[in-house]
Amino acid sequence: MDGTIQIITVLILLLTMVVSVIVTQFVRRRRDLYALRPIPAYRALPLVVGEAIEANRPIHVSFGSAGLGGGTTPLTLASAELFYQTAERAAIGGVSPILTVSDPTAIPLGQDTLRRAYQSRGLLDSYQGGSVRWYPAGARSLAFAAALTATMGDDRVSANILVGSFGSELALVAEASARRDRTIIASSDQLEGQAVAFAMADYPLIGEEIFTAGAYLGDSPAHIAGVVTQDVLRLVLVLAILIPTVFALGDAFLQGRFTAAVGRLFGGG
Amino acid sequence: MRLRRLGAAFTALIVIFVGFVTLLGLNASTGVPAYDSIINVLRFPGLANLFLQLVVITTAVTILIGIFNLLAVHTTRIGRFKGGWFYSVVLVISAAGVIILYILERANVPPGQPAITTVLLETVQVSIESALAGLVLFALVYGAYRMMRRKVTWAGILFTLVLLVLLVGALPLPGLGLITSVRDWLLAVPVSAGARGILLGIALATVVTGVRILIGQDRSYRE
Repeated sequence: MDGTIQIITVLILLLTMVVSVIVTQFVRRRRDLYALRPIPAYRALPLVVGEAIEANRPIHVSFGSAGLGGGTTPLTLASAELFYQTAERAAIGGVSPILTVSDPTAIPLGQDTLRRAYQSRGLLDSYQGGSVRWYPAGARSLAFAAALTATMGDDRVSANILVGSFGSELALVAEASARRDRTIIASSDQLEGQAVAFAMADYPLIGEEIFTAGAYLGDSPAHIAGVVTQDVLRLVLVLAILIPTVFALGDAFLQGRFTAAVGRLFGGG
Repeated sequence: MRLRRLGAAFTALIVIFVGFVTLLGLNASTGVPAYDSIINVLRFPGLANLFLQLVVITTAVTILIGIFNLLAVHTTRIGRFKGGWFYSVVLVISAAGVIILYILERANVPPGQPAITTVLLETVQVSIESALAGLVLFALVYGAYRMMRRKVTWAGILFTLVLLVLLVGALPLPGLGLITSVRDWLLAVPVSAGARGILLGIALATVVTGVRILIGQDRSYRE
């Protein structure tokens, strides 16, 4: 990285820190001020878990190829929060949720996520370490997709929550899920996987919606503050894109006089 | 309870310290003399490299954990005769076979090239995965059909139309000039814009989540 990019990186992180700290203080004091828009996937999730408990079947959740230590680390932690909320609800049922991963760094996180969920219900004795399963994917992730379709049949899975990093192979899993008439909630940070999720999932999560699970399913002001911080920074980003666009268009139509006119308006030469 | 809270606070402190040192250590040559000299005097770049090396070692250890996990899950399944136990037998035998072959290869038994494990990978895994990749197209077309069958919405119609234009436009047939132009425009303008929008959203959320973990506001590792 050259010096300029490093400075910009540090400045962006500083801005995010400042906004996050300020917003968290606001949200802690005026929690009722921020209403979250409804997201169908999060609205459906408790019902999906309820159906699984009644049917005495496991829910299958998967990180895909997301793992810790690389660029997908925040995504993996956000997915873990969603799986924690799911497992906490499913813990009272007779069958433990199945968590599949293809990146080995996600195995300890997955085990800890399920263990914490059972512990929070006071049911730590019911937690089974074998509920977290590693299916190595290698260079391609099609082997992982094949393993997931087999898991669906062998373990009589009730519903699939596939939130993490998936490619177009998600289509195979979603098709197998649809054939068995199982509910599927899906999302991916990869564009191919996201497109497949939108077309084939019963309840797709789009883009940054993955990162809001804690705010929608939990009850912590810290998570709501995270969502509001994202909204504030999104507004900043929109302005950062729109303002130069308006200047470029204005100069194109007015032969370069737009920038000069705005400069004069604000007291420039 | 108090001990647990203390433990959680200590964990948060370690995460914040390691996160900040790594972040600042990796950005130690900004060209701002005062900032760069402070970071270098505090030896943050060296510490950042040490932490990154620890990450690499930990990742290697997790592969071992993964192998144990795989074998434990499937031997338990065989022991309990759970659904699909026969496939687990095949998996355990294959895994053991490949591990033994690899050890023999390292000892140069049998000698020669290409290595048996490479041949196995290319003839078994790659060909099976290629066959599966061929099925993805059919799964996608089924997805479009399913989407329209479930509920005909404007989004669904648009999705199916665009899918058709993209597939037909990619055909190497004469007389499809207009459709090919529409396909190229779709890929260059709306698809590119939409993709950038989604990626910007994910990137923004990633930065916010990362920073919140860094400053201890989001404790996904909490008890």
